[in-house]
Amino acid sequence: MAPQKTRTIKNKHAANKSGTASSKSSKSGSSDGVSKPKKKPTSGPLGKQVKGRTMTDLLKKKKKKIYTEKELGIPQLNMITPVGVTKPKGKKKGKVFVDDKESMGTILAMVQAEKEGQIESKMIKARQMEEIREARRVEAEKKEADKKAKFDETKESLRRKRKRSKASGDDDKGDISEAVSAGTNAKAKKKRVAFA
Amino acid sequence: MRPLTEQETKILFEKLANYTTDLKPLIAPLSDAADADRYVFRLIKDRVYYVLLSIANLATSVARDNLASVGVCLGKFTKTLKFRLHITALPILAAHARYKIWIKPNGVMPFLYGSHISKAHVGRWTEDCPSNVGVIVYDMSDNPIGFGVSARSTAEARRLDPTGIVVFRQADCGEYLRDEDTLFAG
Repeated sequence: MAPQKTRTIKNKHAANKSGTASSKSSKSGSSDGVSKPKKKPTSGPLGKQVKGRTMTDLLKKKKKKIYTEKELGIPQLNMITPVGVTKPKGKKKGKVFVDDKESMGTILAMVQAEKEGQIESKMIKARQMEEIREARRVEAEKKEADKKAKFDETKESLRRKRKRSKASGDDDKGDISEAVSAGTNAKAKKKRVAFA
Repeated sequence: MRPLTEQETKILFEKLANYTTDLKPLIAPLSDAADADRYVFRLIKDRVYYVLLSIANLATSVARDNLASVGVCLGKFTKTLKFRLHITALPILAAHARYKIWIKPNGVMPFLYGSHISKAHVGRWTEDCPSNVGVIVYDMSDNPIGFGVSARSTAEARRLDPTGIVVFRQADCGEYLRDEDTLFAG
């Protein structure tokens, strides 16, 4: 805006008229009024500054592209448009039906392959689980059998011991009878002591 | 009445594939001719009907309000877009059954009254059946009487006690009497 004003004021008549005016433009006009090159140096630093501004502004103006509203893609009314309202171009309105043999066949094949895979994987998994369970069961059975065998062995060894002792003499019997008698005696004694 | 959309077709086929091995014969043309008649799926309100194309085309001349049912009702779509098979789909499922279970005569009536199948009632069972797959239920004279979902795999079921459930009932022939009003048309 500033450079335009200066130009208008360059006019001779305007300069004469505004001789008493206090604006920068009037000053510059009154100083030379004849030629442009003279005017510029006389204007001094102020004039230079103005010129610089004008150039940058001009450049900016050239670069600046003016967009129309359509180009910006701003909705006409500044509000949210519902999904149903916007219509996609080149698309069929409403639902897309599947009624021809080919498309139905492809969907069918796809679904069937997927299902087949699912069931197959399920079966494989079930078989693996079954194998693991079976292995565990066998292991547990083996452990049980080992335990039983050990128990039987100890039982047998005890029996053998008893038999041996029987065969060796009546020591055991004597011991047992002694122990029993001692036990009973001890009890009796204890009682006597307790109540005495 | 309208054909199914792609999504609906997929959901329907997924459900059917749970029970059947091969779905191709379902939609195959009846003869080799170029304009041979074939079976198609049609949706009326929320129910899916399996009907001959020629009959479906004829049915377009019937007013929407007057058209109660056409062809075989396979089941219906729920509001959440899941498909629920009806007992009326049994003949189609039984023709290409993937897994079968035969129940003893003493288990037929409890099943037809709507109870699940316990191990004590099982006569025979397809080997290698995993859990949670569709099973068609037959009586001992090989008549299909319903379908369900296996609760356990065959191997697991062997170890089960006699009162344990092996198949969860989905539909049984007793529904023809119990749900007579709503079975074919809503």
